[in-house]
Amino acid sequence: MLRSVVVHGGDDKVDLRRDVRSLLSDRCFACHGPDAKKRKARLRLDTREGMLAERQERAAVRPGEPARSEILRRVSADDGDERMPPEDAGPPLTEKEIDLLRRWIDAGAPWSRHWAFLPPERASRTELASGKRAVDSIDTFVLARLEAEGVEPSPPTDRATLVRRVTLDLTGLPPTIAEIDAFVADESPDAYERVVDRLLDSPHYGERMALEWLDAARYADTNGYQTDGERSMWRWRDWVIDAFNRNMPFDRFTIEQLAGDLLPEPTLDQLIATGFHRNHRGNGEGGVIGEEYLVEYVVDRVDTTSTIWLGMTLGCARCHEHKFDPFSQQEFYELFAFFHNVPEMGRVFKYGNSPPTIPAPTRAQREELASVDRDVAEAERGLQALAGEIRVATRRWEDDLRAARDDVDMKISRGLVAHVPPAEEPVEVGDVAAFGFYDRFTISAWVTPRSTRGGTIVSRMIDEPGGTGYALRFAEGRVHVDLVRRPLDDAVRLHTRSSIEPGERSHIVMTYDGSRLASGVRVLVDGVEAPFNVDLDELNQPFDAEEPLRVGRGGGDESVFDGRVGEVRVFERVLRDEELKALSVAESLSTIAAISLERRSDAQSAKMRVAFVETLGPESIRTAQERLVRARERRESLIRSFPTVMIMRERIEPRETFVLERGRYDRPKGRVEPGVPSVLPAMSEDAPRNRLGLARWLVDRRNPLTARVTVNRYWEMLFGVGIVHTTNDFGSRGGAPSHPGLLDWLAVEFMESGWDVKATLRTIVMSATYRRSSWTSAASAARDPDNRLLARGPRFRLSAHAIRDQALAFGRLASGSPVGGPSVRPYQPPGLWKELSGQEYVIGRGSDLYRRSLYTYWKRTAPPPAMMTFDAADRESCSVRCSRTNTPLQALVLMNDVTYIEAARAFAERMMREGGEADDERLAWGFRTATARVPSTGELTVLRDGLAAHRARFRDRRDAAIGLIAVGESDPDRQLDPREVAAFTVIASMILNLDEVLTKS
Amino acid sequence: MSTGLTVTTRRDLFGRGSTALATLALASLLEREGHARGGGRSPGLAGLPHFRPRAKRVIYLFQSGAPSQMDLFDHKPRLDDLRGSELPESIRQDQRLTVMTSRQPSFPIAPSRFGFARHGECGATVSELMPHTARVVDDLAFVKSMHTEAINHDPAITFFQTGAQLAGRPSIGAWLSYGLGTENDDLPAFVAMISQGSGIPGQPLYDRLWGSGFLPSRYQGVKFRSVGDPVLYLSNPTGLEAAGRRRMLDDLERLNRLRHETTGDPETTTRIAAYELAYRMQSSVPDLVDVSNEPRRVFDLYGESARKPGTFAANCLLARRLVERGVRFVQLFHRGWDQHANLPSAIRKQCADTDQGSAALVTDLKDRGLLDDTLVVWGGEFGRTVYCQGKLTATDYGRDHHPRCFTVWLAGGGIKGGVTHGATDDFSYNVTRNPVHVHDLHATMLHLLGIDHTRLTFKFQGRDHRLTDVHGELVPEIVA
Repeated sequence: MLRSVVVHGGDDKVDLRRDVRSLLSDRCFACHGPDAKKRKARLRLDTREGMLAERQERAAVRPGEPARSEILRRVSADDGDERMPPEDAGPPLTEKEIDLLRRWIDAGAPWSRHWAFLPPERASRTELASGKRAVDSIDTFVLARLEAEGVEPSPPTDRATLVRRVTLDLTGLPPTIAEIDAFVADESPDAYERVVDRLLDSPHYGERMALEWLDAARYADTNGYQTDGERSMWRWRDWVIDAFNRNMPFDRFTIEQLAGDLLPEPTLDQLIATGFHRNHRGNGEGGVIGEEYLVEYVVDRVDTTSTIWLGMTLGCARCHEHKFDPFSQQEFYELFAFFHNVPEMGRVFKYGNSPPTIPAPTRAQREELASVDRDVAEAERGLQALAGEIRVATRRWEDDLRAARDDVDMKISRGLVAHVPPAEEPVEVGDVAAFGFYDRFTISAWVTPRSTRGGTIVSRMIDEPGGTGYALRFAEGRVHVDLVRRPLDDAVRLHTRSSIEPGERSHIVMTYDGSRLASGVRVLVDGVEAPFNVDLDELNQPFDAEEPLRVGRGGGDESVFDGRVGEVRVFERVLRDEELKALSVAESLSTIAAISLERRSDAQSAKMRVAFVETLGPESIRTAQERLVRARERRESLIRSFPTVMIMRERIEPRETFVLERGRYDRPKGRVEPGVPSVLPAMSEDAPRNRLGLARWLVDRRNPLTARVTVNRYWEMLFGVGIVHTTNDFGSRGGAPSHPGLLDWLAVEFMESGWDVKATLRTIVMSATYRRSSWTSAASAARDPDNRLLARGPRFRLSAHAIRDQALAFGRLASGSPVGGPSVRPYQPPGLWKELSGQEYVIGRGSDLYRRSLYTYWKRTAPPPAMMTFDAADRESCSVRCSRTNTPLQALVLMNDVTYIEAARAFAERMMREGGEADDERLAWGFRTATARVPSTGELTVLRDGLAAHRARFRDRRDAAIGLIAVGESDPDRQLDPREVAAFTVIASMILNLDEVLTKS
Repeated sequence: MSTGLTVTTRRDLFGRGSTALATLALASLLEREGHARGGGRSPGLAGLPHFRPRAKRVIYLFQSGAPSQMDLFDHKPRLDDLRGSELPESIRQDQRLTVMTSRQPSFPIAPSRFGFARHGECGATVSELMPHTARVVDDLAFVKSMHTEAINHDPAITFFQTGAQLAGRPSIGAWLSYGLGTENDDLPAFVAMISQGSGIPGQPLYDRLWGSGFLPSRYQGVKFRSVGDPVLYLSNPTGLEAAGRRRMLDDLERLNRLRHETTGDPETTTRIAAYELAYRMQSSVPDLVDVSNEPRRVFDLYGESARKPGTFAANCLLARRLVERGVRFVQLFHRGWDQHANLPSAIRKQCADTDQGSAALVTDLKDRGLLDDTLVVWGGEFGRTVYCQGKLTATDYGRDHHPRCFTVWLAGGGIKGGVTHGATDDFSYNVTRNPVHVHDLHATMLHLLGIDHTRLTFKFQGRDHRLTDVHGELVPEIVA
């Protein structure tokens, strides 16, 4: 890239060092670098010892003696066999490169470690050629470089452009005309500063800043592999927006996301923050080998962490020693070890969040919960107050029972969906109890097996061995529960440890809580919890079957129950403990009443209590009990309705980590402990060797990378190109900083400010460098097309998100949209998901269509097409660098996508309503809203003539006009003539397509 | 759709300058990304092709879900006697299986139910399920010794498309459009099309399969669709007819030019060109997908289903029309080959959907003289197991994923016809001769296009990446 600009620092020696290191790294390290295995001729050029080493009276480098330095002889040799690099490793060095080597050796071959591994230092004061020494600031560094290059900086940009630039940069939205007017008219010296502060205080600032972070954190609403089922991580996104808005210091922002769970007594928010490292893709494809993907998830965390904080991936070192940077394979796995201790599944759930997760209520939900908690407490108190009364009344009731002649009994009936009386033969009950894997249910049955063979007690499944469905079975003397999609690899299967003897009558209950996990199943035998062994805990897809509920059968002819199945009851809820106990009691209430209190079993007592307080007691007691039950159920269902978020957690039993040969999960070699790369400062002695220790190390003042890498990303966000243009590579093959002193100054300022993100952005946007005009002369375009010298203000195409968001803003479609919340589904051409996967994209309604783009539902394998056309990151893995292309497909989106046609119509209506009376006023208003500036006479003429032409075309084509303005869900303004609206809509659409509107300038 | 104005009219309106401008702008854009300007149309990389190409373009008929090699091409007659018996340990060799079957108590051999015969002068063995393909075998090179590393669909198909199992790398078509550029300014260099079998719903596909990975997004494949706009967002909105659109674009260009005088940003010129290209696509694409003028005999060849948009046969016909117009890389994805259960009935439908179109494409290209420099590739992401998944009955069986061996075929574009390369053991379980890895297939495809696969690289995150990673050997035996 950038051939036309050679990058220099202030100090020529440093310069040589950097340039030579970068040259050697690029052309020589592959064979003469850190990787010992690939090293040729045992020559190492990435260390000073290596290059100076005497070998058979020769040395690659003899400082000060170019003529006696082997390296120079070899790179300039004419003989193809002699010349380095060898032919198959690329072209020979250029004259310029050879000269650089010569000058470097002449100068004593100065060498130091790669610049990015040395701590950033605040440069001594910058000296300007004009002889002035200035207090260091962004501008002094930039001016010093411009002076050295003999380039004149551009003048400040006009105020309208400036306010548009800074508003888009800090909020991702355009300024309103009122905001533009106010700033243009405000002549006070701090006018701009006040605009900046207003923007930094806007809640949209957090949304805007979250966007890049979501790309880096590979945030998405789906799992990413194969079926690409939905997940729910939006509460983590809310956390990010909120953290930016509250200006959480970047060190804390780092620690909470990487290790919030390891902080002492973490808050809910700190746990939600750790969703960061659960955002990676998860594979739920049938048949995958869990161990393989466990490794991939951890590798993803290492890549993401190192890209975001260290500005490089160590990915190469997964399989072998790094070829260009001093990272060993062992070090890769030491870093890997930090992230390898999460109690997670290798094959994740195909749909929904996979453990570990937590309920992550919003603020409103937390308030609602507190209110329900109060209700529960109150109901508890209410019942408590009746305790004495209950005691007395119960005694009286039991007396009555004993005195009565009739046998009185009670059956629990709330939530009962099937009740099957005892039968000798299998019974087909019918289409009831169609439970799915998110449902909660209870099955209770009396059984008397004739043999240990047993058979199916209750089932709803395809009636063949291994059929899909659920079943409560009895086999080899033990109770089995099967929740089966496919018996071998997609099921929960378990069996009780203790056995039931043939001929014995037993009561069996199973409950399932809809968690898709074996731990969500309970089995009780004769009212007592029965511990079980889990045969398989890999339920991944719905197990519902289009079959009748059956008693005494399910799973083919072999499954017929050998024995007698007594009364069966199926409930569409999980019964409470005392209800479960009560179920298992065969004796009637009258019978129990005859047993003395001391001799009653726990279950018998439970049955008496439940019967009395819920069914047979006096109304006041029943009401109080009912109130408590309802309150508790409301609490439970409220908690179940909470969004969840996947979080990080540490396993109790630490998992061992090994170096993996060639990076393969099934080739473990030596065991490693968590650790950080040796080329970087060591972790402090007392730091825990876990994620918390790692997170603190990343934001330690001594870490040379984190601050540089972070401010460089902010710089890229604002200027389009980072000071180091390879935002994702600060390694030896990455780009050199265009302004090393500036980068270090910003990094040090950032750390010293207490990692204050808003302050850093404020410093940058307050600089004269940021506020310069972006006007590009042919000469300066040729000399410095990417503006690396920063003689001009930034000018580049807006992001996919900003382009859509501003169009919605011009049409005022998005106004009042709340900050944060779940993802929404705006317009997308029909059938896109269907043709790929058979899934259906259901377009949202109303305000969902106009939410800011960062809330758009992100399906990884079929991301929103218009966003992708504008180079949005695909969110499959960490991305910190966006590409910005300019293609015909983008033109098609902006011209024809419903989103933009509807926005143009809404924008057109505003032009007509708010722009004034005359055409020219309306056109100028629209133009100004979109560009922030007043159109020139020439521009206004084009707009006016265009409007006239479209108006003429729609005059006799009312239907066409109505068709055009009906595009989209929102209603056109019926007060306005549709033909006029249509003509203005075409003009508005054209304005949305203007290069200037798509560009931050 | 603005079909009212043809390209010619457009050029009349603007003069020849605008086309030249478009090309120039695109070229300058590419140059700014560090690419040298090539001659002629939208250029690829300087120095490419590395040597004289045998193929100028590729049509890849991807059979998603993984077709069963031993029911289609890899005939194993001796298995009939072993029906139901356990797959010998000596063959299975403790290789890893998917967990869908690794816990099966037994691995009974399920020989193919279908008849095989030798065809053509080369005597290639083809199943009765593929009668049309059987007629063109003398133009095909069968590779029976393909093997891969992945055993699940997502990683396996991603591997075939990008040379890596995990997401993030450019697809093969993106590499080619990056390296070789396009021959047609009005159409994308890389087009993807999807069809669904009439049998079981297929495995999902993913946009990344034709994505550009870390390459700039301009190189990603453009999906041509059979419902709605053939290219997303191609049609003008209701109520805005062609003349209105034209006027808007003319005004847009005027305003952009006025602005360019003030800003001097060359990017503005590129944008003006992009809008012109978009406008041209608005007429060239509908023209391309309109097959109503194709003569009767074409539909005799491809089958009547080629008249129905979205079928595999229709996509085959479109593929021919695309390569005729200079599109570099056309990839069809046909879903539905993932036959874990009920394979005999499912594969019959699947073959009925695809056999005639595939064979017709080869024949059609040949008749038009396009086969010589068009490479056609047919195959899926892995093979299937000889042992039965689920219950083996007299008429039914299923097969699990099998990465150890499977069959692909290639034709045209420098491929030697009538060749069978590589062989598998008696169980179609292990490769016994001339193994061909996915990377090898990629290396060979690039070679036919005049590219040394070790020299088509892109630096990303400090590393020079290539399609074949650090692997890939040319398969000279199938090259003419």
